[in-house]
Amino acid sequence: MPTVKMTVNGKPVSAEVEARTLLVHFLREHLDLTGTHVGCDTAQCGACTVHVGGKAVKSCNMLAVQADGAEVTTIEGLATGDTLHPMQEAFRDHHGLQCGFCTPGMVMSAIDLVKRKADLSEAEIRAGLEGNICRCTGYHNIVKAVQAGAAATRGR
Amino acid sequence: MFLQPKSVEAALAMMAEPGARLLAGGTDFFPAQGEQVIEHPVIDISRLADLRGIATTPTHIRIGGAATWSEIVAQPLPRGFDALKAAAKEIGSIQIQNRGTIAGNLCNASPAADSVPPLMALEAEVELLSAAGTRRLPLGAFILGNRKTALLPGEMVSAILVPRNVAENASAFGKLGARRYLVISIVMIAVAMSLENGRVGQARIAIGACSAVAQRLAEAEAALVGCRKAEEIAGRLHAGHLAALAPIDDVRATAGYRRDAALILLRRVAAAAMLAAGN
Ligand SMILES: Cc1cc2nc3c(=O)[nH]c(=O)nc-3n(C[C@H](O)[C@H](O)[C@H](O)COP(=O)(O)OP(=O)(O)OC[C@H]3O[C@@H](n4cnc5c(N)ncnc54)[C@H](O)[C@@H]3O)c2cc1C
Ligand code: FES
Ligand code: FES
Repeated sequence: MPTVKMTVNGKPVSAEVEARTLLVHFLREHLDLTGTHVGCDTAQCGACTVHVGGKAVKSCNMLAVQADGAEVTTIEGLATGDTLHPMQEAFRDHHGLQCGFCTPGMVMSAIDLVKRKADLSEAEIRAGLEGNICRCTGYHNIVKAVQAGAAATRGR
Repeated sequence: MFLQPKSVEAALAMMAEPGARLLAGGTDFFPAQGEQVIEHPVIDISRLADLRGIATTPTHIRIGGAATWSEIVAQPLPRGFDALKAAAKEIGSIQIQNRGTIAGNLCNASPAADSVPPLMALEAEVELLSAAGTRRLPLGAFILGNRKTALLPGEMVSAILVPRNVAENASAFGKLGARRYLVISIVMIAVAMSLENGRVGQARIAIGACSAVAQRLAEAEAALVGCRKAEEIAGRLHAGHLAALAPIDDVRATAGYRRDAALILLRRVAAAAMLAAGN
C-alpha cells in the first residue's frame, strides 16, 4: 500500500492507505477529521470542500495519494483555540445554517471566495457558492453571513 | 494498480500496461466510477508540470493538456480566448475548475462539453503524444461521437494548439441550461470573428449539445460576412442555418425547444462577438 504524507491543518501526517482511498475518506476515517462531510458521490454538493494547496476542491473527487505532499486545510483547521474564524463566527451570528450538514463545505468555499476577491456583491457571492448545495436555508442567510464574514476578514 | 509517473516519458511507458487509464482532475472520472471498484491500472497525470503550462510559439498558442480551468482563466491570453474563458468560468463551480482539465473535457467527449465550441471556433488542433511520437488532429477530427475520440491505445492529449492569427479575433460564448451552474448544457454557442474595414471579414461559429459532436455552422458563418452592425445580425441568421443539427428529446429539453433556443442564442452570441470586435 502506498504511503501518503501531507500537512493537514498545519500538522504533518503520514499513513499507509489503499491507493483508491478518496481524500475525504482519508480525512474522516484515518485522521478522524469528521467535520468534512460527504453529501453525494458525484462531486455535486460541495459538503466535502477542503483547501488543497490553498485552493478549494471537492475532496470526494480526488484520491488521498493525489494530495501527497500538499498542504490541506479542513474546517477543523480554521479556529485558533476557542476563537472561531471570522467566517465561522459570521455563519453563527447570521444563522447561516439550519441542520449544519452543508456548513463546513460552505465555510471553506466562502473563505476561498473572499480570498480571491475581498469586496463581493450579493450576486458574486451567490455565483461563487454555486458548487455548494444547501437543502435547508434557502441560501438567504448564508449570503448575509458571507457578506459579514468578508467584512470581518477584511477588518482583521 | 495506481501509478504516479514523475515525467511525461514515464507516463507514456506506463501506458503500455493493458487497460491502463489516465486520471487528470478526476471530475469526470470519479462521478462516472460511482461505487464500482477501480479494477484497471490508473495513471495520475494531474501532477505533471510539463503537461500544464500555456506557451506562445511562433505560430500557435499552446495549452498543456493538463492545464486546469482555473489556470486558463488566470492566464492573460488574446481575445480569441474570451469565449473559452467564459465557458471555463461556468464549468461546474470553482472547486471543479480548480481540478478539471482541458484535455479531460475533450477526452470525455460529452456532447455537452462546454470547451468544445469555443475551441472549434478557434480552429484548435489537438496534439497527441505516444511513445511513438506526436501527431496532430483538428478538434473536429478528434472527437468522433458521443464519448468517442480518435485517441489510440498508448496516446494522450499533450496539448491544444490554437493558431495565433485566429486567436486575435474577437470572441463570445453563450450557454443555455436550466440553471446557470452545475447543469448540463441544453445548447452552447461560440463565435469568433474578424472585421475588415468595419465589416465582418470572417466569422467562425460552433454549436454544441445539439448533435453528438459539436459542429461549425458554415452557412451561418457565410451569412455574416459583410455585416456592419450588431443590430443587423438577427436579420441575417435564420432557422435554415441550423438544419444540420440533430438535437435530441430528453429530460432537459425537447428537440423543438433546442432548435428554437439555438437560433435565439446564436443571434445573441454573434451580436456579442460583433460588439466585442468593436462594432
Ligand atoms: C459537479 C460537476 C459539474 C460539471 N460541470 C461541467 C460543465 O458545466 N461543463 C462541462 O463541460 N463539464 C462539466 N463537468 C465535467 C468535467 O468537470 C470536465 O469535463 C473536466 O474538464 C474534465 O477534466 P478532468 O481533468 O477532471 O478529467 P478526468 O475526469 O481526469 O478524465 C476524464 C477522461 O479523460 C481522460 N483523460 C484526461 N486527461 C487526458 C489526457 N491528457 N489525454 C488523454 N486522456 C485524458 C481520462 O482517462 C478520462 O477518461 C462537470 C463535472 C462535475 C463533477
Ligand atoms: S460529497 Fe463531495 S461534492 Fe458531494
Ligand atoms: S443547513 Fe442543512 S443543508 Fe445547509
